[in-house]
Amino acid sequence: MNPPTFFDSSIKGFTLNINNDYRYLKTGYYVSLHAEILGNSVVPSSENIIDAYRIPILLLRASKAGIPTVPYLVTSSVKQMISEVGFPMVVFAVNPFSHEGFKTAKNRSALYRAVKSLGMNYKFAVCVQPLRGEMLSFNSYFGKCDMGKDVQEISEKVYEVFNIPICKLHVQRIEECVYLSGLQPLKKEEISPLGLKMISEGICQISKNGEHLIG
Amino acid sequence: MVNTSLANIACFVERYNFTDPKEALALQNFKMTAEKMNCRFDFMFRESLLEIPKYDAVFIRATTDPLFTAYIVSKTAWEMGLKVVDDPKSIQICGNKIHQYELFKKYNIPHIPTVFLNKEELHHKRILDIFRAFGRPVVIKAPYTSFSKYVEKVACETSFREVAKRFFRKSDVLAVQKFVPTAFDWRVGVLNGKVLYVCKYMVPKGRWKHGAKRRGKPSFVWGRTISLKRENAPMKLKETALKACEVVGHGLYGVDIKEVNGNYIVVEVNDNPSIYAGHEDLRDKDVYSKIIEFLIE
Repeated sequence: MNPPTFFDSSIKGFTLNINNDYRYLKTGYYVSLHAEILGNSVVPSSENIIDAYRIPILLLRASKAGIPTVPYLVTSSVKQMISEVGFPMVVFAVNPFSHEGFKTAKNRSALYRAVKSLGMNYKFAVCVQPLRGEMLSFNSYFGKCDMGKDVQEISEKVYEVFNIPICKLHVQRIEECVYLSGLQPLKKEEISPLGLKMISEGICQISKNGEHLIG
Repeated sequence: MVNTSLANIACFVERYNFTDPKEALALQNFKMTAEKMNCRFDFMFRESLLEIPKYDAVFIRATTDPLFTAYIVSKTAWEMGLKVVDDPKSIQICGNKIHQYELFKKYNIPHIPTVFLNKEELHHKRILDIFRAFGRPVVIKAPYTSFSKYVEKVACETSFREVAKRFFRKSDVLAVQKFVPTAFDWRVGVLNGKVLYVCKYMVPKGRWKHGAKRRGKPSFVWGRTISLKRENAPMKLKETALKACEVVGHGLYGVDIKEVNGNYIVVEVNDNPSIYAGHEDLRDKDVYSKIIEFLIE
């Protein structure tokens, strides 16, 4: 069922909302919201949609659930970032409208540029994290990804906590350990044929229980 | 030094909260009241979010929206088990008017006749249907409206399309409402299911909403605020406000209500309602102490 048809319906039952982009105020968000108003159990929930795309909340809730996460600071003061986090650092937008992901900053001028761009000209605060290892970004479909076992483990745990069926995850590998760093929506063109196969496997797994699908 | 306070309250604010002297004074009143009640009350800015765990309660006065830093503050405090006003659920419901009107429909809260419009529906037939149902003009409301912004009145298809396209840039769904002109909107302040204060937000002369943009200028013109003692406000008005808040939550809200032929219809429930010294607190001076009491309860 497509979203406009679903908005006009009052269909009852479990709702699986499949979308590459669940950003707040976008169709993916409204589908989950409508399902909740109907009293349906829905994946993902509107609360998880808001929280998962907001990096500080993502990391806070993930850490509470036992997922290793990188430390972070939310601020718009560059001075504070330098004194409390130090170079090099990773800068994420806190405003979930951004599709940009993160920027790394190794010096003051790069940091100013990143904060200005990701904070929409200082309107929003940003989330900064120390860069102590290597950043890895990968697509996650129902918690599955084509990465090593340790990364796969984080991907599965993030899905368990937030239930976002399709997303891009960012992790930091520091020595032998992997830490969750961020999550963002995917663009349609970023989904490979293998990704599509993983999505249909995920849907099959859930629809075995005879659930409604909205995509 | 040993902290002997009954509770430590952080009040999350942004610089703009201190630009209007009446709002700045209200914030100082909160601080003074809290201190009289043996509580510590600190203003917390976005650079100090790491200090949230040091507090027992967080009171948010900066503008709330699931996109703003205030939501990060609210959710962080909530996850850490602190008492927080506004709580994240209230921000979610009040920050998105589509969410709110869906709840009003579900729970039969009397509200302004509203339809939702999604991006794919912006075509001639649908627009005509709306005009036919609601008459002209109609009001188009972006879900993220606050302080009377992103609410516009349109009377023809051309302006309808122009406004809707502008609002669709940010949200894929909009609310379209029947235009109900009144000389004022009731504003009922509600805290935890009880009426806190009652005001009339007057509409400035020649305008149709409480806060209207000056033509060709970025500044706003605001209508007067007339305060009533909460005991003197109509019972039916207070009941309508409480009923609307019931579906939103148990925090602090400002309910906008229109009075039409003796009936009360809800315009919207706002979290994070404005509290300006000499306005909302004029007739009921206990506004400050009641909120502090709720925070430390």
